[in-house]
Amino acid sequence: MPINDLPAEILRAEPERINPAIILADRLMRRDAEELLTVEEVAEAENVLAIGTHEIDAIESHHKAFLKTPASAIDYIPVGF
Amino acid sequence: MTGLAGVAQDQENRPYFGDRLVQSLEYLRFKARSHNAIFACETVSRVVSEQHKYRLYIEMFPEQWKQSRKSLYKAGHFKAYSERTNEFYQLVNDRCFPLLEYWHDDPDLELERFAIPPMNFDLCCEEVDFAGLRDSYLAGLLFYFAEDDEIWSFFSEKYGVEKKELPPIKASPHAKVWREKQNAETKPYSDLIRLVDHSTGNPWLDVTHCQYPELFEWNKETVNWLTESYNAANQSFRNLENLDERIEEDAQKFLYQLISFWNTGKIDP
Repeated sequence: MPINDLPAEILRAEPERINPAIILADRLMRRDAEELLTVEEVAEAENVLAIGTHEIDAIESHHKAFLKTPASAIDYIPVGF
Repeated sequence: MTGLAGVAQDQENRPYFGDRLVQSLEYLRFKARSHNAIFACETVSRVVSEQHKYRLYIEMFPEQWKQSRKSLYKAGHFKAYSERTNEFYQLVNDRCFPLLEYWHDDPDLELERFAIPPMNFDLCCEEVDFAGLRDSYLAGLLFYFAEDDEIWSFFSEKYGVEKKELPPIKASPHAKVWREKQNAETKPYSDLIRLVDHSTGNPWLDVTHCQYPELFEWNKETVNWLTESYNAANQSFRNLENLDERIEEDAQKFLYQLISFWNTGKIDP
């Protein structure tokens, strides 16, 4: 199996890095609550929430798909057997 | 004595310090889980929601906001919200319309949208209890319980009015009963029938306990509209007092005119 076809490699090649909600949550928690969000900031937060939730859903569906993948026999004998 | 203890004991600064302490604890709680994306999404959602309530609070009750010492970080009675947001809910309840009763008595509830309690009498319940209703409202109910002798007995015993002395009630009202425009003579009857029929257009009067509650969004227009319609609903019930007085003056004439309006859309002389 070529190295690039390994499941972990495919996962690593995915474009997402850190869920943007994590970065935004950190930013929001660093500011005082009296400092009200502007309309633009609320719009940005809603956009980030949509992206963040979509990423979580995508990862969870990948996870479920992996769990459902049937086991298959390897074509070599591991060392020690 | 440490500097912090000195600040904590300062009467004037104590609430401020206390709130800062709660804010720090909130931040540490967040940091402990800050790399969990699901938790981060929940945090963003919660902060945005709370900020929305704060903005509404400032817009609607600017003086109370300025004077408030309620925490912006510590959870209040409704645990999903800060003490300050809870204070906003209380203000809406005290100054606009009943919010914190009936549907919303569970502290674990999320109030992202809210329902209003019905003010009108339910006709859909299995057992109808006429006790405690105004005489004029009972008169309106005659159209919906025409065969029910209980209401007729009430008018017979209290006012000496008999069913057989009045025109028979048609099964359905004349179309003119529902016309928006009514004259001074027919309007009180039209309003009464609309009230009993739950067809007023006022949410406080038209919703019933037997239906799934309509949920309202938190914005100034909706809160103002519900406040106005709540006041209008109360006015509708106050208007019944005038009708009660008319019944006391001449119940026979009142019921005759009301039935005549139901049957023909006008009041026969």
